[in-house]
Amino acid sequence: MATGHATDHATVAREVGARFEAAAGLNAALHWSQANLDVEAARLARGDGAGPLGGMPVAVKDNIVTTDAPTTCASRILEGYVSPYDATAVVRLRAAGAMIAGKANLDEFAMGSSTENSAYGRVLHPLDPARVPGGSSGGSAALVAAGVVPAALGSETGGSVRQPASFCGIVGLKPSYGRVSRYGLVAFGSSLDCISVFGRTVDDAARVLAAMSGVDALDSTTVDRPPLTVPAPRGDLRGVRIGLPREYFPADLDPGVRAGLDRTIAAATQLGAEFVEVSLPHSPYAVPTYYIINPAEAAANLARYDGVRYGQRRIGPDGDVRALYQATRGEGFGPEVRRRILVGTYVLSGGYYDAYYDKAQRVRALIVEDFRRAFGSVDLLLTPTTPTTAFRAGEKTEDPVSMYLADVFVAPASLAGLPAMSIPVGRSEGLPVGAQVIAPMMEDERMLAAAAALETIVDAAGEVR
Amino acid sequence: MAATILAADGWETVIGLEVHVQLKTRSKMFCGCSTAFGDPPNTNVCPVCLGLPGALPVPNAEALRLATRAALALGCTIHETSVFARKNYFYPDLPKGYQISQFDKPLATDGDVWFESPERGRVDVVIQRLHVEEDAGKSLHERVPGKTAVDLNRAGVPLAEIVSGPDMRSPAEARAYLTMMRQILVYTGVSDCSMELGSLRVDANLSIRRPGEPLGTKTEVKNMNSFANVERALEAERARQVALLESGGRVQQVTLLFDAATGEVRPQRSKEESHDYRYFPDPDLPPLVLDRKWIEARRAELPELPDAKRERFQTVLGLPAYDARVLAGERAVADYFEAVVAAGAEPKAAANWTMGEAMTGYNESGAFAVAPARLAELVALVKDGVVSGQAAKRVYGELAGGGAGSTESPRAAAERLGLVQVRDEGALAGWVDEVIAAHPGEVARYRGGETKLIGFFVGQVMKKSQGKADPKGVQPVLTAKLRG
Amino acid sequence: MSIGRDEVLHVARLAELAVADAELDRLVGQLNSIVDYVAQLDRVPLDAEVTPFQPGPAAVRLREDEVRPAPMVRGPEAVAPEFVDGFFVVPKRGGGLVEG
Repeated sequence: MATGHATDHATVAREVGARFEAAAGLNAALHWSQANLDVEAARLARGDGAGPLGGMPVAVKDNIVTTDAPTTCASRILEGYVSPYDATAVVRLRAAGAMIAGKANLDEFAMGSSTENSAYGRVLHPLDPARVPGGSSGGSAALVAAGVVPAALGSETGGSVRQPASFCGIVGLKPSYGRVSRYGLVAFGSSLDCISVFGRTVDDAARVLAAMSGVDALDSTTVDRPPLTVPAPRGDLRGVRIGLPREYFPADLDPGVRAGLDRTIAAATQLGAEFVEVSLPHSPYAVPTYYIINPAEAAANLARYDGVRYGQRRIGPDGDVRALYQATRGEGFGPEVRRRILVGTYVLSGGYYDAYYDKAQRVRALIVEDFRRAFGSVDLLLTPTTPTTAFRAGEKTEDPVSMYLADVFVAPASLAGLPAMSIPVGRSEGLPVGAQVIAPMMEDERMLAAAAALETIVDAAGEVR
Repeated sequence: MAATILAADGWETVIGLEVHVQLKTRSKMFCGCSTAFGDPPNTNVCPVCLGLPGALPVPNAEALRLATRAALALGCTIHETSVFARKNYFYPDLPKGYQISQFDKPLATDGDVWFESPERGRVDVVIQRLHVEEDAGKSLHERVPGKTAVDLNRAGVPLAEIVSGPDMRSPAEARAYLTMMRQILVYTGVSDCSMELGSLRVDANLSIRRPGEPLGTKTEVKNMNSFANVERALEAERARQVALLESGGRVQQVTLLFDAATGEVRPQRSKEESHDYRYFPDPDLPPLVLDRKWIEARRAELPELPDAKRERFQTVLGLPAYDARVLAGERAVADYFEAVVAAGAEPKAAANWTMGEAMTGYNESGAFAVAPARLAELVALVKDGVVSGQAAKRVYGELAGGGAGSTESPRAAAERLGLVQVRDEGALAGWVDEVIAAHPGEVARYRGGETKLIGFFVGQVMKKSQGKADPKGVQPVLTAKLRG
Repeated sequence: MSIGRDEVLHVARLAELAVADAELDRLVGQLNSIVDYVAQLDRVPLDAEVTPFQPGPAAVRLREDEVRPAPMVRGPEAVAPEFVDGFFVVPKRGGGLVEG
């Protein structure tokens, strides 16, 4: 952001509003209003929160609570719900000088990989309306990719920011678990959830992340570390050892994705990085592990939606309190959410705990150990973000498991709580390709510095082959 | 202790108790809302205890301190690492649809306590576990016609759950156990333990069997609001099970609610499948890790417990068992008694006064009307014969009352009331002479060997002096003069 | 590993989710395919010392016992579906003696 002259926040607010209007066809925004934008602009003009973000407009995924707009989680069960408190991340962004710009569409309760599970309609891919932008943070990704806002908050449980970033050709950044407060992020998979950031550039995303980060007395899972700092740009990658996990480069990897990674490796080598093949042998178990842990935690986290204290209420024909619960939840939740709640309830029930949830948390430990071992010999890992470019709407909605497999390269870092990000590295037949950088726990700045260096020489818009 | 109790009907009763006590904190277990009782509904609430989307729990240090103190007082092993777990079920006053509790890694296990059974002496009880958890809100079924009204002020209040082994053998023993438990928890300042105010709740498990047989099927009894009602409810449930088994039926594992109005227990009508709580460690809370130093600091905070105090009152202060039990029964009473002793009163006298006049006033008003030092002075006056025991009670009344006596010294009050005994030998001799002169016949009989008559003469001197003579001083003067 | 209709209905009751008859069969099929997929974890050998992984701090931080409610800009009545005399209101449980 330019310094030395005052930003005309009111004009920015008008321009952002105009861009929201123009992009309405994407269905990326669930709630935005010129009035709210103007309120933000006035606040910034008064100097409240004259901070390092300098008035940057930032959209917020609609599973992060705000007091001045609804938070629906793209579900009917929370239609019209306006939170009485703001998420810590939003409070900190405002204090850092962000202009909070609307609430973005998502897969219902963040469950999905395409944003086709929204109760308010799917989001269109900005480059091809027949395709999905990815999910669950598809609305946030589309808003940034379409140039409506320079940055947007998403959330990650199993790759829900990296994957859409890869599909949409923008930066998607997930911090280490515990670096950004989850107070105000509607819980889905509590041991996995991370508020994450989309940006047009690594620097934009990093600055937004830094502004939100740091321990929070209201979230017991935040780690007691100083806030992230945006690393100074580094011109090269000399002395940086980067691992290529063989399990992420299968022989049948999509040729366009493969080509994108090859260009990235070439660019990094040009900058002086050294590449080493490593192995993460438990990688094939990451997706099934993820799909035991996230539904189990989600089933408990979504039990509070019972129609008693908030949300849309329905009462079934029996008219008693159970008829309230069952109709509210049966009708208020969409099919994917209901499936996950049932799977989660099942794996925690009866005698199944040891075989499923407990087993999955132990396999998770093996996945964590794979990463730790690999990082013993390298500083960072580089992998594809997604196995394909953006797929067509409707292509994976018939079979839930086929949708789950889209997470194959992003789920492991979520399970391990590691910082991970996707940067755009080119186009394949006109569709963006992303590369993923993963760093050891708490080494977010190392990852950001390397990604920023790569960004300078990788042609994100160029065809890869 | 006798191993068990065999009732006249030949059935042995086996009872275990689960007690939930509200820990005495200012704020809730996982949020900063006030725990104050009786505030308007849904005013002590926040996103966390309302279970709003996005809210997260943060545990209360004082709740853990109190729970640890309680566990130590109950002889438990404190586990340095314990885990919060989600207990999942649906209820209108359970905001998150789960309760944050502890499951397979609780704060404390393996404690032991004993209580005095009305039927078989000292009974040792295993405390299987003590863990911390949050309370649910309150559901009121009569507040809004045809509906249930929910108040979440209580949701999130810290509780300790204390589970005993199946060690009680009669409903009366259950009551005695609860009395002992409350005494310890109030002593240690952990909880007010008031069933009326809901800071102590009891769930009981009861089964019966013929001696030597394996344990019978147990039922759960709930909804008792006093220790007396616990005993009544368990009597009713025992009788129900006996009747059932003796008529050839089988006991089902059910939950029954006690109806105080009728004294009956009835199965909980909403007969759902038995709960599957689907416990798992709460991912919003890292493990609770308490180091040895911290735990020992809690041990150092423990006051002398009732048992130890009773023991000391008997062996060190020489009090009889009954006195020791009464005085050690409540910390405030014990502290008062000891202050009176510390101010110079001899223990037995201090005990008598404390158990008598002082406690009568305390039980009425909740306070001790006479400061320990002043009571000690009064005790000294009696010991020195300045006032008689009877007169001292009147003096006490003055000291405890609101008037002039509340500020004067005991001696001044005694003088004002004209209760100071006369011990002047001259005055005593005068009265003795008068009595001897008035009863020549008895004098002769005394001199003839009926020395028991000394009591008669002392009585006469007391009458002559209108009670003012110090009887201890009278006796030697009388004896000397009677001998001639 | 096969989950039958009855078991799905049981799980739905535990989760208080109404399941329409029309969707039950499809749901049973989908749940089975998901559970079959994740059950491959059966095959992962595990040493006894591998403990479950939990990210975040190693030990929970404790909060001092002060009355300091987390802020709300409006009270519970603003979001409640039904609120009477300061209480949330719901239908009664189906029949019978209930605990106070």
